[in-house]
Amino acid sequence: MADGKNALVERLFAAHRGALQAFFDRRVRQRSDATDLAQEVYLRMLRLKDMSAIRDLEAYLYSVASNLAKEHAAAGRRRGISVSVEEATIQDQLAQAPSFEGEILTAQQVKRLRAVLRGLPPKCHAAVVLQYVHGQSHQQIAQHLHVSPRMVKQYVGQALAHCRRRMARWG
Amino acid sequence: MKMTVRDEEVRALIARQAADWFVAHRDGSLGASERQAFDEWLLASPVHVEEYLGVALIAQALPTAADDPEIPLEAILERAGTVDEADVRLLGANILEPHAIPERTPVRNRWQFAVAAVLALGIGGFLWWNADHPAPQRYATGHGEQKTWRLTDNSVLHLNTDTAVTVRYRPAERLIEIDRGQAFFEVAHEPTRRFRVVAGATNIVAVGTQFDVYRDRVSTVVTVVEGQVSVASDSTPRRELHVNAGGQVHVIAGTLPDNATPVDAQRRTSWLRRQIAFDQEPLAAVAAEFNRYGAVPIEIETPSLNTLVISGVFAADDTETFLAFLRTLDDVTVETTATRIRVFRHSMVPGERVETR
Repeated sequence: MADGKNALVERLFAAHRGALQAFFDRRVRQRSDATDLAQEVYLRMLRLKDMSAIRDLEAYLYSVASNLAKEHAAAGRRRGISVSVEEATIQDQLAQAPSFEGEILTAQQVKRLRAVLRGLPPKCHAAVVLQYVHGQSHQQIAQHLHVSPRMVKQYVGQALAHCRRRMARWG
Repeated sequence: MKMTVRDEEVRALIARQAADWFVAHRDGSLGASERQAFDEWLLASPVHVEEYLGVALIAQALPTAADDPEIPLEAILERAGTVDEADVRLLGANILEPHAIPERTPVRNRWQFAVAAVLALGIGGFLWWNADHPAPQRYATGHGEQKTWRLTDNSVLHLNTDTAVTVRYRPAERLIEIDRGQAFFEVAHEPTRRFRVVAGATNIVAVGTQFDVYRDRVSTVVTVVEGQVSVASDSTPRRELHVNAGGQVHVIAGTLPDNATPVDAQRRTSWLRRQIAFDQEPLAAVAAEFNRYGAVPIEIETPSLNTLVISGVFAADDTETFLAFLRTLDDVTVETTATRIRVFRHSMVPGERVETR
């Protein structure tokens, strides 16, 4: 049951990933963008009259964030100078698939992220590679590394937080 | 936006919380109460939202980024398997020199390793590898539980029911993060190390004083019993509110009020004496307060009873006395079963009457 719910959240997130990623990537040019998005997402969540109606706040978070990111991207395009109708249509299509510019940014970021990962403590690094590249469960990783599954979660949590801050500081 | 070192420290803490929640979500092991705790955490600050989304994006990039063609899996596993000792950081060393470069050479001496392992077990097996963040210590109470600890700096920490805090010692400060619930601090004076409490977006700094912090879903209440503290919120970083003894500040959704309000600080901190004190408070609030401690929830079923005004001092763990008091009220019926306590007016008794005691 939990798997079904997780799969749904993953799909939801994957479906909107482009818009969200683009939003966070814009930090390079405009640092406050990601903060603005988070603020707006936060305010919209606070405005919810009936919190109990939201069964899964995480999934809700992703959908609110994605919609806002898309709205923001659309507004940005409208603001842009000399964007013809045709170009706008193309931009819309590019927003669905990764754009050329987006790919360069992503490749650069992947390179940076790879460098951050290499600097992680060995067990942290191993846990991340086993989970995200080899698709192993925490239980399986625990056996590989001779630690408890709880410890594996700690390693993965440490790694995610460390990577997140390092990437954010680089902008 | 330029971030200071302190901002980054706070950010790193929040990112870690976000990452732990993210891992728990993907693990699919969250129970109803943890799910609620997550909702509360996420709604406590826009910074939490930002870090959570940031962590989710990192996780999305990891299948590609962690697949490093230059480092084969075997090499990673070998490294992970052979440097066990280097992963175990000496807790004491971290407290004294938190900014030291992590020593990466394996500890060869068996005895040293044993000491390190024992220290690591002493903090619940929680290993902290990043030297920028010394080993945090976690203190928590369950539902209806209250506990008191003397911290290593001689400050005293009292935790009320359903509370979790994390304590970190750094050269320039003692940092206490309230994850949830209510804590009272008796701060040991240390001129060179300030005492800072973070509750969501609210920051409280104190020097040699006594104060209470209660963090609930979207607000944080700071009550000062002795001395002075300064309260700030992440959303208005330039503004600080100085609160003297007998003053109270409500930070709601990260918004700092203009002034502190005078309160009866002794009454606000009556929980320390395992008492609950009310002065002209509505029954709904009184019941909610009892429900913070009791195993069986009190349910007010007649809406008009919610606004009934009550005064008095009760023992926090003595719900019976409070119920006995309610039974003395005209027209009020209290019905208790193993799983619930129902309070209603006679006139509103549901069709099937159950025996009343």
